[in-house]
Amino acid sequence: MIWLTWRQHRKQALFTAIGLALLAVFMVPTGLAMRHTFADLGLDDCVRALGTASMIPADADTCGKASIQFNSQYAVMTMIGVLFLVLPLLVGLFWGAPLVAREIEQGTHRMVWTQGVSRGRWALVKFGIAGAVALVASVIYGLGVSWWLTPMSQAGQHGRFNIFFFDMQGTAPTGYTIFAVALGILAGTIWPKVLPAMSATLVGFLGLRIALTTLARPHYLPARVLTFPIKDATEQTNPAAGDWILSYGIRDASGKMITANAQIACAPDATGPGAACGADLGITSGAYNWQLYQPGTRFWLFQGIETGIFLAIAALLLYLAVRRIRRVA
Amino acid sequence: MDIVLETDQLGKRYGRAWALRDCSLRLPAGRVAALVGPNGAGKSTLLHLAVGLLRPDAGAVRVFGRTPYDDIAVLSEVGFVAQDTPLYRDFTADELFTMGARLNRRFDTALAHRRLAQIGIPRDKPVGKLSGGQRAQVALALAMAKRPRLLLLDEPVASIDPLARREFLQALMGVVAETGTTVLLSSHILADLERTCDYLIVLHASQVKLVGDVSTLLAEHRQLVGPRDGGPLPAEVAQVVRAEHTHRQSTLLARTNAPPWDPAWKAYDVTLEDLILAYLGDGDARPHAAWEVPA
Repeated sequence: MIWLTWRQHRKQALFTAIGLALLAVFMVPTGLAMRHTFADLGLDDCVRALGTASMIPADADTCGKASIQFNSQYAVMTMIGVLFLVLPLLVGLFWGAPLVAREIEQGTHRMVWTQGVSRGRWALVKFGIAGAVALVASVIYGLGVSWWLTPMSQAGQHGRFNIFFFDMQGTAPTGYTIFAVALGILAGTIWPKVLPAMSATLVGFLGLRIALTTLARPHYLPARVLTFPIKDATEQTNPAAGDWILSYGIRDASGKMITANAQIACAPDATGPGAACGADLGITSGAYNWQLYQPGTRFWLFQGIETGIFLAIAALLLYLAVRRIRRVA
Repeated sequence: MDIVLETDQLGKRYGRAWALRDCSLRLPAGRVAALVGPNGAGKSTLLHLAVGLLRPDAGAVRVFGRTPYDDIAVLSEVGFVAQDTPLYRDFTADELFTMGARLNRRFDTALAHRRLAQIGIPRDKPVGKLSGGQRAQVALALAMAKRPRLLLLDEPVASIDPLARREFLQALMGVVAETGTTVLLSSHILADLERTCDYLIVLHASQVKLVGDVSTLLAEHRQLVGPRDGGPLPAEVAQVVRAEHTHRQSTLLARTNAPPWDPAWKAYDVTLEDLILAYLGDGDARPHAAWEVPA
């Protein structure tokens, strides 16, 4: 059975390996270059000095200029990085969906299920091998992207906890990949033709990913609230904390939101151009900065929860697929 | 007499429509049986039930006394060639035999090699590049290498040309003679069956119409030609299978105990094809209620 699965899918395995190799060819040099620039700009030391606390003294952020320089130099990398989000889906489409669908479409299930191996075992070995390949590929990919993204995350503008950046590193891609493969397999048992199975996988994958990312992920743990003064600010938020800021704004003394998506900090005795600190924005005395966030220290916990959810769904889908396979003829 | 395949009130339903219903039959060991019926009659369904691909919705099917659904013990005794002889097209015959050897406890690779060598089919070419007839031969060799006690073939010759069809059936007869395997072969090409089969199962509209040994069935049936208004049927007629009428005379295909004595009726022998076609005719379309003679 193992020999058969290997013989049937060795081409796909080869393509997967080539894909990973191409990715490495792109990521290793660019990753090294980013690290080099990062060190040259002195970001290593100053990021370390910032620590991971959510708030730091107002005069502590000495990285600002260097990190802006770094981010503008490598802005294109973040765009390229976002493309990697589709890789788990591709694995689901090209490994998962054809696994059962192609057998039934070509009728070969009737040949292979009437050899001396029960279809339960056939399914377990096939799913196991497809799952193992997806697992190895996605772990390599997830850790590789984590390494590649580290300078960009540390430079502050795209924390690793942010949507998209969270999704393409760590263990989360493994969860997505296994889920995509399982979804493809199940779709193949329901729509036993390769193209409909692929379409169903595409729709199902995007649907669940978007739904969970926007609706569920912010609530895996209760978010924390941080408030800090506008005037006479002695502290500011730490760009190196890696917090995932869900929403922020300025509230007045009664707690009502005056200005969403804004943050103002005026140093003591600040005399800027124009009106006094925020007065022209309708900010009255007693107003304060407010932010709802998931602390950056929860990153790996959230990675674990995200991965666990997708692996659990994948297990359920595979169970349903095995059940369906016992009914197909 | 050993019974290889036995069904009892067997039924299979897809949604609300029955693909096979109230099917009861027995296939004795050592026979080469033809499973005949128009497309959609339930032939594939019956074969899939027998090889355990499908689970019955009603009644029971037993192969060597066991229920075949998802049963490895039965699978190892049954060879199956599905419709259109599906094979992994990018595999060579050698790779298919390797697969067979790895998936079956008993697999005679040497036998498969010998069979392909006899008919001159290359073993190192992807089977997708072989002709339809050659592919059918590879599928047969793959099934026979299991040394099955029952071989089920679903329309194995339907999609191949007449010459390849004859070669295939010759090859089949060859292995059957060598091994004594019981064969159940579905087809709607009647001419082929007369040469190869000694047992007949006729399926029509999801139901079994006729089962039995071919020579017995042929001996039991007669074509009778008599006057259109010839009055009562001869007493020897047990059952009218099919009746056709012209202005002056009636032609019946009937099951009889003996040729009729009545001089008004002439009796002729029937061919297997006549017999099958008579049973495949719509049994409810008899023009005269008078022809309904109780058996």
